[in-house]
Amino acid sequence: MKSLRARLLAALIATLLVAGALASAATYFSARAEVSALLDEELRQVALSVRDYALLDLTTLAPTPSADAEHRVVVQVWDPAGRVLYLSDNSAPLPLSARTGFTTLTHLDRQWRMFTTLAGPRVVQTAQPTSVRTALAADAALRILVPIVAVIPLLAGLVWLIVGKALEPLRKLAAALQTRTPASLDPLPVGGLPTEVVPLVASLNGLLSRLAQSFDAQRRFAGDAAHELRTPLTALALQIQLVERATEADERAAAIARLKEGVRRATRLVQQLLTLARIEPEAAEQPMSTVTLARVAEGAVAEQQAIADSRRIEVVADVDHAVAVQGAEDALAILATNLLDNALRYTPEGGRVAVRVRRIADEAVLEVADDGPGIPPEERDRVFDRFYRGSEVAVPGSGLGLAIAREVAALHGGRLSLLPGIDGRGVTVRLTLPPAAAKTSAEVATVAHESG
Amino acid sequence: MRLLLVEDDAMVGEAVRAGLQDDGFVVDWVRDGAAAEAAIAAHEPALVLLDLGLPKKGGLEILRALRARHCPLPVLVITARDTVKDRIAGLDAGADDYLVKPFDLDELAARVRALLRRAAGRAEPLLECGPVTIDSAKREVRVHGKPVALSAKEYLLLAALMERPGSVLSRAQLEDRIYGWGEEVSSNAVEVHVHNLRRKLGEEVIRTVRGVGYTVPDER
Repeated sequence: MKSLRARLLAALIATLLVAGALASAATYFSARAEVSALLDEELRQVALSVRDYALLDLTTLAPTPSADAEHRVVVQVWDPAGRVLYLSDNSAPLPLSARTGFTTLTHLDRQWRMFTTLAGPRVVQTAQPTSVRTALAADAALRILVPIVAVIPLLAGLVWLIVGKALEPLRKLAAALQTRTPASLDPLPVGGLPTEVVPLVASLNGLLSRLAQSFDAQRRFAGDAAHELRTPLTALALQIQLVERATEADERAAAIARLKEGVRRATRLVQQLLTLARIEPEAAEQPMSTVTLARVAEGAVAEQQAIADSRRIEVVADVDHAVAVQGAEDALAILATNLLDNALRYTPEGGRVAVRVRRIADEAVLEVADDGPGIPPEERDRVFDRFYRGSEVAVPGSGLGLAIAREVAALHGGRLSLLPGIDGRGVTVRLTLPPAAAKTSAEVATVAHESG
Repeated sequence: MRLLLVEDDAMVGEAVRAGLQDDGFVVDWVRDGAAAEAAIAAHEPALVLLDLGLPKKGGLEILRALRARHCPLPVLVITARDTVKDRIAGLDAGADDYLVKPFDLDELAARVRALLRRAAGRAEPLLECGPVTIDSAKREVRVHGKPVALSAKEYLLLAALMERPGSVLSRAQLEDRIYGWGEEVSSNAVEVHVHNLRRKLGEEVIRTVRGVGYTVPDER
């Protein structure tokens, strides 16, 4: 039974029935005891009065004496020889009792209560079927039970209505939620709700507002992304037209080369967008593992070496292999690659780039330094923003590299900061991971040992 | 016709310049707002193709400053901002036309020609002067109805003169109209082109105004 209303109703009816049954049973037993005492006394009184008659003249007993018809009292008088002198009801004479006083016996499938007394030489017996007493007690019990049972439908109806009324706010809430579209995430009204329902609605409102925020962020991101995709697509559309127009073979080859470059750029932007969109959910799915930052840094250097060589940029890795963190390795690798990629893009040919991993105080640090043009102070706040590109417009890029890096840093509870670059020129982008994520390899080894 | 292209994206800028050059325009290209203002002041282009999202100074800002100085320079906005609100804001800031990226090169060239026509106070696409007609859309020159093949520079020079029949353009002004930045100009280039044009079109089409420059006579 799922309905609260039906459940409450069933419980109430069951309670009433059990209570009624208990009350009836109690009444039955107490009434039975009382009736027994009363009727025993009646039996005795009748026997005693009959004894007085029996001593005189039995003929006066010809009609049934004061024997109560309703209580079906029978009277029998016996002579000393055991012959019946008198029977008030001769349809079924009861046997002669061996002793005086009260006895209970079964006669002809019936239980009898009998009182026996002596009247001189004669024996006087008064008896009554016990069913009389049971009937009386049952009667009393029934008088208790009937009103209780009779009131059940009324109570049930009332409870049905009252519970329905009490659940009305919940039903309204459900109706209000049902009409919601995914776009309408306004908080639900709390006014007029029962106190028990308020925490539920408050939690729902909390969830709705978090959803609204996340929808907003997604919408903004999708809008920004669509806007940013427009430029590479424009370039592609124009480049294709130039290919179509080209008549000379070499002209055509040049146009196709430019078109390929355009496709590469659009692909890279889409790739970066996907990375950004996936980073959080994917990292949340993978448990944090122990990551050696040096390995991450060296991986990034190896990956970008060809680009560095083609631009005659010297990349120096100065990494401490003892620095390990708890983190998502793939995400950290994307971060390191993006920082290095950025440094290589903005550093002029023949420049220098340094990748460093070390420990500063408790914190793990990964930094990428260059001796390029650096970042003007007025742009420093904005370089981590999505789609922001520096005023050095000659450098191609998606404007997402640092935004992705910031996302990864935030995922690890770390931060990105900008410092002066090599020999006071250029810029250093530093990832700092807090002590919680930073562990010495010795500590990590201990943990690994314990868990192993 | 010499145009100024203001576009920060390298690929888009390069492609637009290449496309418009194919269509016979001289295109100077700058990549930020500050450079755009400097180029407008220095070269007085016939028309500006203006992107809105620019480093250093935004396109709308440049446009407003231009119109605040009562400068009538035709401005065609080319931008990724595509909402109706953006378009209204661009036109109300003083743009003569508004083209949303991505766009078609041929359409861009047609819009440029239309704006240049209007700026010269003409409605018809043909330039006519005596026996010579120029169809700028087809880049076709005819003398007495017969097509004549001209080089790109010859065409530009003739078109520059025929835009305003009767007015005199100096050698320096003509050089400015037909050569973009970084193009090598020999000292007698204009004379050579004029000589070739007279040879192809007839001596009387271009007149020399001694000590001042060249003109095509206004025969309307």
